[in-house]
Amino acid sequence: MLEIQKEALLKTLESKKQEGYSYLKKVTAVDYVDRLEVLYFIYNPASHASETVKVRLSPDKAMVNTVVGIYKAADWHERELAEMFGIAIKGRKAGRLLLEKWNGVEAPLRKGFVWGNKEYKRI
Amino acid sequence: MPTMQINVGPIHPSTHGVLKLVVDVDGDTVKRVEPHIGFLHRGVEKLVETRMYMQSPSYMEKLDYVAPLSWDELFVSAVEKATKIEVKERAQYARMVLLEFQRIASHLLWLGTFCNDMGQMFTAFMWAFRDRARVIKFLEDVSGSRMFYVNLRLGGLDRELPPGFKEEGLELADYIYDKIHDYRRLLEDDPIFIERTRNVGILKLEDAIELGVSGPVLRASGMKEDVRASEPYYFYNKIHFKVPTQTRADSLARYRVRMEEIVESVRIIKHALNMMPEKGDVKGLPIKLLGPNANPDPITISRELPRGEGMIYMVPDKQKPYRLSMRSPAFANLQALSKLCEGVKFADIFTILGSLDIVLAEIDR
Repeated sequence: MLEIQKEALLKTLESKKQEGYSYLKKVTAVDYVDRLEVLYFIYNPASHASETVKVRLSPDKAMVNTVVGIYKAADWHERELAEMFGIAIKGRKAGRLLLEKWNGVEAPLRKGFVWGNKEYKRI
Repeated sequence: MPTMQINVGPIHPSTHGVLKLVVDVDGDTVKRVEPHIGFLHRGVEKLVETRMYMQSPSYMEKLDYVAPLSWDELFVSAVEKATKIEVKERAQYARMVLLEFQRIASHLLWLGTFCNDMGQMFTAFMWAFRDRARVIKFLEDVSGSRMFYVNLRLGGLDRELPPGFKEEGLELADYIYDKIHDYRRLLEDDPIFIERTRNVGILKLEDAIELGVSGPVLRASGMKEDVRASEPYYFYNKIHFKVPTQTRADSLARYRVRMEEIVESVRIIKHALNMMPEKGDVKGLPIKLLGPNANPDPITISRELPRGEGMIYMVPDKQKPYRLSMRSPAFANLQALSKLCEGVKFADIFTILGSLDIVLAEIDR
């Protein structure tokens, strides 16, 4: 597990890719209420080594750089991240929703979102 | 001729679920394909946060209704890792046998439907379903249920193995092995099948790695990558098996990889059944109101599912997952569709889509 500042994300991933971690398995996030953690699971096919790069974000203005320029595989994962956690992805154009086919609910995987809560506000 | 836009789906027989493809065509040539997913999104990741650990396996099985046991096993293993429960030795072998039979059932269903998409109408489909029915009957004998088994418990299975498990398993493995030659003769001597799959949908190795595909699709592009071999779990490290690869990287290569995988699964099953201790308990912990408490450290666990590498990242709480994130192999494989379909003929989209072997329930989660 490699925990880094969000400013260093692109640089770290790029150097990791140079080291041979050419395969991105998954991008996901965890909401710990006081913070958000975005995780990048990368893999080195030659040495079978896995690495996880972790970025901490503040829950209010969560924003992270897009890594599509380094790993194309991150494309749909980032779109999912934006929809499910309300994390803005810097450097991406706002596009069609990937998984959600309705409007009005944002960030359903945040802990603040409770099912059946009509009072729930958009973040 | 101006570019025309065609909507394929959301309801289409070749899509194994609900998938919409927006296809830009110039005449019969495909310019761009954009998959629209999410029609089957149920919020499983949120749902399991509200359920006790052992309430969730039945949701997991519905992720991939073609190979339900594989996701079930991945989830139960994640919980076992979090609660530090050891699986009994006999149960580990039994799970390996069940998982490999599940892989065979999944690949046979894929083969039948793929041939249907291909215009190899119904002969291969009927043969594949006939043999899959025997595999499913075997799994039913073990679990008591035909499609959704939910027979895994922490540390083992839910009940003793039926009498004759080993003999019937070996006989069924031999039967499948014989039948593979029939399929190969039927399909590989068929000029229509070969013409429709050869050189269609070529995914070069560097693109495959870049797009994050896994499983048979990645191996057909030439990379020898299999979780069972690279990070062995259960007793896969004790069993010698081949990781089949191909270099052509087209739809035919993906077909060949899957057929060889069935043969390798048969080999694993036979070894596992012969190595399995004759006596011993396979029963795991019964499901109670309160299960064992989980360790709160986040865990990552990977398994080779029939469609590719499945991964669970779980932040456990005591009795429920605080967060469960799933890497669906088909999700990553479907991302490659746009790349694969550039410049092909319209009818080839379904060959390519079929050769990726997707299940939409798992993609949308």
